[in-house]
Amino acid sequence: MYTLNVNGVTYQANVTDAETPLLWVLRDVLGLTGTKYGCGIEVCGACTVLIDGQVEHSCVFDVSSAVGKKIVTIEGLSATNSHPVQKAWIQCQVPQCGYCQSGMIMATEGARRAGHHGNEILPELKNVCVCGTYERIRRAVKTL
Amino acid sequence: MSCNHTADSAGQPVSPSGCSRRNFLVSVAGGLSIGFFLPDGGRMLEAATAPATEAQLNAWVRIGTDGKITLLFGGCEMGQGSMSGLSQILAEELMVDWNQLTIRPADADAKISYTTGGSSAVSRRYLPLRTAAATARELLVAAAMLTTGDTARGNYSAKSGVITRKDPVTGALQSWNYGSLALQAATPQAQALLPAVIPLTPPDQFRLIGKPLARPDIPPKTNGSALYGIDVFLPGMVFAVIKHCPTIGGTLALTPATPSGAIAVVPCFTPADRGAIAKNSFNAVAVVADNTWKAKKIAQGLKVQWALPASTASVDSASLVTLAKQLLETGQPIVAEPASAAPDPATLKTVLGSSAKSLEATFTVPHLAHATMEVLNCSVRPTHTAGVLTGLEIWAPTQSAMSVVATANVVAPSLTPAQITVHTTFLGGGLGRKIEQDYISQAVQIAVAVGRPVKLTWMREEDFGHDQYRPMAVIRVRAGLNATGGITAWWYRNVSPSILQQRGRAGLDSQAIEGSVRLPYTRAMSLTEWVPLPSGIPVGFWRSVGASINAFAVESMIDMLAIAAGRDPFVFRASLVSDPRYLDLLAAADAASSWRKTLPSNRAWGMAVAESFGTLVCEVIEISAPTAGAVVIHRVAAVVDCGTVINPDSVEAQIQGAIIHGLTAALWGEMKFVNGVASQGNFNRYRMMRLNETPTITVKVMTSANPPTGIGEPGVPPSAPALANAYSRLKKTRVTSLPLFPGTSMSGL
Ligand code: FES
Ligand code: FES
Repeated sequence: MYTLNVNGVTYQANVTDAETPLLWVLRDVLGLTGTKYGCGIEVCGACTVLIDGQVEHSCVFDVSSAVGKKIVTIEGLSATNSHPVQKAWIQCQVPQCGYCQSGMIMATEGARRAGHHGNEILPELKNVCVCGTYERIRRAVKTL
Repeated sequence: MSCNHTADSAGQPVSPSGCSRRNFLVSVAGGLSIGFFLPDGGRMLEAATAPATEAQLNAWVRIGTDGKITLLFGGCEMGQGSMSGLSQILAEELMVDWNQLTIRPADADAKISYTTGGSSAVSRRYLPLRTAAATARELLVAAAMLTTGDTARGNYSAKSGVITRKDPVTGALQSWNYGSLALQAATPQAQALLPAVIPLTPPDQFRLIGKPLARPDIPPKTNGSALYGIDVFLPGMVFAVIKHCPTIGGTLALTPATPSGAIAVVPCFTPADRGAIAKNSFNAVAVVADNTWKAKKIAQGLKVQWALPASTASVDSASLVTLAKQLLETGQPIVAEPASAAPDPATLKTVLGSSAKSLEATFTVPHLAHATMEVLNCSVRPTHTAGVLTGLEIWAPTQSAMSVVATANVVAPSLTPAQITVHTTFLGGGLGRKIEQDYISQAVQIAVAVGRPVKLTWMREEDFGHDQYRPMAVIRVRAGLNATGGITAWWYRNVSPSILQQRGRAGLDSQAIEGSVRLPYTRAMSLTEWVPLPSGIPVGFWRSVGASINAFAVESMIDMLAIAAGRDPFVFRASLVSDPRYLDLLAAADAASSWRKTLPSNRAWGMAVAESFGTLVCEVIEISAPTAGAVVIHRVAAVVDCGTVINPDSVEAQIQGAIIHGLTAALWGEMKFVNGVASQGNFNRYRMMRLNETPTITVKVMTSANPPTGIGEPGVPPSAPALANAYSRLKKTRVTSLPLFPGTSMSGL
């Protein structure tokens, strides 16, 4: 059992293996499915979350290491899409299939929290989008 | 406009009742429901005239007494925007505003569901959907007529979900919300007042068609609420992963005992023949645990005894290329074109030999994985009555909901199809892979075995290693030029595994030859042939399928001919084409890429044009190669003719995405089999384009009054040849084999 703070809410996560990646705890134990599985080996970025404000890839982040830290997932930005990154994404009609976009948005938010703005955010976005929405991500990021 | 496709909604099918009339069906179920026929096979003209039977109807528009207007959507949304495009068409003719409409995914229903593929979702449904929506509008007007007794259509108008009557004498206005007319509109009396010909809105009066409206499926995709298959989360759910025999064609020798920590180990059979994999053979085991990670870890450590096939030669990339090259010479070709009076090889050889110039090249393309961002997955909830299975509820990211019903019914033959409910979720990419049924069948098998709700997730390694791949191909093209740059002879021979033959169909494979027939280029003599390549590798539909293969060979050879003729590629193509659509497209692409005339010497450009799914696309690409083994793609100018544009914003997005998809494959895409085993298991060895590698892509859409044509796939075919033509120009050696950079890896984040 691990006590986790996700999006300001305290959860008791019933898992036994300390090495269970946070990704699967979020998805399968807590039912927070906005964070996605893409590769499991820290290459694609679909699983990006913020931990104590830092960009982390939850597919390789042990649940035991997340205890006592502030975890923010896509669900924690704004359920009503009022967060600036969400607004920019809707304004520029970025998502296609949308599957990578939770990770893209969290990586963008992580870059903003690290003090980057506008085009400075672009080098931080290494996540994979198989649909190829990159051109629109560039448009959206410009406004942030 | 809103979209009910989030975690807390599931579509309910409307049960049709009522009388059949023209090609639609009206029913009263809390309002007006109009069922109509959206053709699945490009039979638009038949649809307009065929008398409808209930079984043919496959879409429903519903106008509730509460005023809610709903389109039941029988396809799937995988990013291509068809959910939104269809709504735009509906709202246009129904005379409602964009925000007055809700689109709801239908559960699998023979009357509503259709298979999403062939870039057809919108193009095949354009006219039928407009007609159906216009019929609904006219029924609402008829309902108002019944209320007033005035049947002069000219006195009524429809706008923003309101019917208004203007008294011709007094000018007094009377109006009704659609909802208040819905019950009356569903009566035979209203139908009797319908005009003989349902009037459609003239294109110059379109309010919504052709406008860049915001897609309703986007807001749930920016806050985590969009429900993909992989997100289905049911009370009491357990989690499964799959472990296939790593060698394609191998089968389970012995089901392993359930290891500690696991809930179950379930042997799984495959639902269809695919290459070396035999239908109904047990080629995988599923491990079930209380979370996916645990199941994966247990599966990794699980020792499974497999019975391996006697030979893996047919599942080995190097052997297959060798065999294909042999078959190029010795195989029995099937003529793809011309349909009659095909020239014989001896004549072709003579003409080629006596041409001013004669060129020959052999092109090779590899197998490709789909690599959809969302891995294969499926969730199933079995229900039991007195210990007996009495129902299955299935949530699937599927391109073919009705196939899911059939697949489940094979696993659970004691059920009737009515006891099987299928919810189509959002798809995190489909690309043709999610038409297949292997993962669906496995999930149902597991749920039936464990008797509780289960979600099956394929780990990425299984998704890469057990795909149904875009076929490889070896293609030889021979072509001759006369002294004035005309093509004297064209002899095209494609050797490739057949998707359709793996699905039990004999003869010429239409998928294999797509993009090599009906070429726009004038040739004095031409022969296009296909030789099936026997192969054990499971093959399947991949965004644009054969067109992605053949456009590379065709457009590379055309480029070689242009060089041999000493002509600019635009000028050369234009000299061979008479179709004005092509000529206009070429002229527009020429103008859109004027930058190519002033490139510095360390850069080069290339172009290609291809038609697929009725849509013409020309792409012009600028590249440089600053270091060996790498290329920088600076920009792409694309010009598209897709007939009437429903949503220009979606067209742009689809073309940009398709170009990135096509370029990624051309640069790095390759699934290599060695001794029956797939070599690339994850993105680190199957490289995808990242943002910093993405060129600037401009998309110009031609204005056209023709009916809409496909948009999801047509951007793919020209991208590989345009890149190869640029690279050949830069390096002064012809690219004949894809990918350009085999064996590249992708770095971690
Ligand atoms: S799933 Fe974590 S980086 Fe791909
Ligand atoms: S939007 Fe589909 S993978 Fe990025």
